[in-house]
Amino acid sequence: MTEQVPNKFIVPIGPQHPALKEPGHFEFSVDGEIVTDASIRLGYVHRGVERGTEDRTWVQNLYLIERICGICSHIHATAYTLGVEKLAGLSAPPRAQAIRELFCELERIHSHLLWIGVAAHEAGFDALFMYSWRDRETVMDLLEELSGNRVHYSCNVLGGVKFDISDAQRDAILRGLDFLEQRTHHYLQVVTQDAAFVRRTRGVGVMTKEQAVEYGAVGPVARASGVERDVRVDAPYLAYEQFPVQMITDTAGDLEARFAVRVRELFESYRVIRAILDKLPAGELMAKMPRKIPPGEAIVRVEAPRGELFYFIKSNGGDKPERVKVRTPSICNFGSVARLTIGHQLADAPMILAGIDPCFSCNDRAVRIKRQDHIQSWTWSDLRRYALKKYSA
Amino acid sequence: MKIGAMLGDLLRSLFRRPVTERYPFVKRAPPERLRGALRYDPANCSGCMLCMKDCPANALELITIDRKAKKFVMRYHADRCTFCAQCVASCRFKCLNMSNEQYELAALTKAPFTVHYGNESDIQALLDAVAPTNSAPTAKA
Amino acid sequence: MTGIWSIIALLFFPGGLFVLTCGLAYEWVDRKLIARFQNRLGPRWFQPAADVLKLLAKEEVVPAGVNPVLFKWLPVIALAGALTAALYVPMAGLPPAFSFPGDLIVALYLLSLLTLCTGLAGANTLDRFSIVGAVRTLTQLFSYEAPFMLALLSPAIVAGSWQTSEIIRSAGGQWILLTQPISFVIALIGLMGKLELPPFDAPEAETEIVAGALTEYSGRGYALFRLGRGVELVVGLTLVAALYMGGLAGPLDFALKTLGLLVVLALFQTLFARLRIDQTVGLWWRYGALLALAQMLVIVGAKVIA
Repeated sequence: MTEQVPNKFIVPIGPQHPALKEPGHFEFSVDGEIVTDASIRLGYVHRGVERGTEDRTWVQNLYLIERICGICSHIHATAYTLGVEKLAGLSAPPRAQAIRELFCELERIHSHLLWIGVAAHEAGFDALFMYSWRDRETVMDLLEELSGNRVHYSCNVLGGVKFDISDAQRDAILRGLDFLEQRTHHYLQVVTQDAAFVRRTRGVGVMTKEQAVEYGAVGPVARASGVERDVRVDAPYLAYEQFPVQMITDTAGDLEARFAVRVRELFESYRVIRAILDKLPAGELMAKMPRKIPPGEAIVRVEAPRGELFYFIKSNGGDKPERVKVRTPSICNFGSVARLTIGHQLADAPMILAGIDPCFSCNDRAVRIKRQDHIQSWTWSDLRRYALKKYSA
Repeated sequence: MKIGAMLGDLLRSLFRRPVTERYPFVKRAPPERLRGALRYDPANCSGCMLCMKDCPANALELITIDRKAKKFVMRYHADRCTFCAQCVASCRFKCLNMSNEQYELAALTKAPFTVHYGNESDIQALLDAVAPTNSAPTAKA
Repeated sequence: MTGIWSIIALLFFPGGLFVLTCGLAYEWVDRKLIARFQNRLGPRWFQPAADVLKLLAKEEVVPAGVNPVLFKWLPVIALAGALTAALYVPMAGLPPAFSFPGDLIVALYLLSLLTLCTGLAGANTLDRFSIVGAVRTLTQLFSYEAPFMLALLSPAIVAGSWQTSEIIRSAGGQWILLTQPISFVIALIGLMGKLELPPFDAPEAETEIVAGALTEYSGRGYALFRLGRGVELVVGLTLVAALYMGGLAGPLDFALKTLGLLVVLALFQTLFARLRIDQTVGLWWRYGALLALAQMLVIVGAKVIA
């Protein structure tokens, strides 16, 4: 034999691994320190939320849906309420819409600051991790002050929001934003100028605009590659028409650009929140909502902190939905990780993975399983049969 | 390009109080809207059962003692509760609210998680009817 | 020093117990300082001791496919090496317990034993994280060791002796770090590389390879490696302080100078993002080694002219 077949040395990351606090399985084949191949396996957290919605009433589902994700809980609930409201043929009062948007943006701030910390930790830059999380407490405290809970704000009800914003709370938000804005300027400097950190991010995991389109990337990951894709701008929902945001894009497409895009999006969020607080429409908080939703189908697209979130809701006229389908942004971005890590150092792999801001609890589905050359597709009825067989014993 | 862009932060912190707290020993005042354990006031309750129907966690049981006399007892399962406050939003007579003081709800046994709200005598009658020897702790409304 | 005094020196002071306690105390100071730099409270004073006691009390799992003798004895050798090194340096500001012409070289080699044992321990197991970690540990060893040696030897060249106490005496209380700032910085940063402290913690980068070479270690073995790390921190700091900061006049002087160095070390640990292993190697060979060599040439040249 003239050709030498190199032995594959595979470094497995996950489902239990300190780099990933959430379950997902990644296999990186390495040659020395260079990654030569990567594969992804998801679906360890299949909780059956979509099926679960079919057994609960429209109101109860609000809180099940909210628990799909612990970070972007509000945007899930908002997408669902928007869908149900569309089916019922009514919409929440303008004040409720504005408050929902306010929560969306506060949530984005908390999510992006959290991500900066996580990504910095992956790079072994714990100072940035600790400081960004310390400052994130500001927005967490604000959310707790407004809603009564730090994670599941539950501010939505079908047809509106539960609570108003008092003058004292408005001032607290403005104070918090002033502090955060000043800190964010500092972080933008750190992530684009700190020599040691930039050496870990600049030119790492470069995704061109064409690639981003091809892989179907969404959210800040796509925007960092120059793809102009932001549901808040393309198809405004809630009060985004009245309080618009500007799309933030970058052209570099590397990790540094993803940092820069997310940090600059924070400034947009601060600006929009100030605008909302300045011109909060007066009026009711809730519209009267029927308990049974007329039959029909609705599609909702919203911009979660991680990208486009898609909901399909079908009603058969009863007090429970017939089908709720959720497509989360992380699942769209995962594909790019497998491609982008190839050719990079093993040390860069966790950073590239963290760069898409993966949310594993969003990925509770297994559709196509690839074992060596054998590909098995699972349909809804396959899954159902499998589940019945597995749990009947 | 800067070397050590966070130097200022680090040095300033050395002469500042740490932001982390020794939690069980030092506690912050909870915000006014904090969603802690649920509380029920039977005075205005009409027994519409909306709170029970809307609860996503089946944490509420509204037990009718006497419908005409509007006597109700609320059995609240704090261990199932997800603290979403949908019941508070659903109640048209403002019978429900969430405590902002009772939020540390850990316990070693299951018993403290079943809380009864209502008139003292009603609760006692209910408990006696279900299990004469049962002595589940009760809370006054 | 004969008989009973040698045994006391080995077991209690300045070797043995004293260095172990010192190691734990310095580890705590290090952790506390890092926490304060990051605006956190940090651990309480007994945390490192509690960690080690807990680990010592735990069952040691010997994974399948390892050489059990090596697996059990490598941590012991690592700790023994670090403890022995403590005997050749002026611990607590007192003259070294044992001293002979050339003890500096012995101390430096004993200090490398820990890294070597860590690398071997990683290569001994079948675990993939351990093997990657071991490769990185040894790669790092080869990158910082030469500059670190050169940096510590330049005061020796000035003094014309390989004996620690002789070098200190010839310096006559002068702070060599003022005349040889480059080798001082290289020695200090080399110490960080040796201890695998951030930003040179690629060999045990938890977000990539869990705990690197020591991934498979639990219980006693891990406790001993950690103790060894603590001891080496103290010994290394003592050595750098003694050589570059005008010797150590007594326990108070010792504490002040080494803790002062520890503050700088803790600051460096928090200030930088982790270097990739290729960046570490590049940094040491492209800058560290060349600068140390240049400094050395200047010293040798000055000596020849004088």
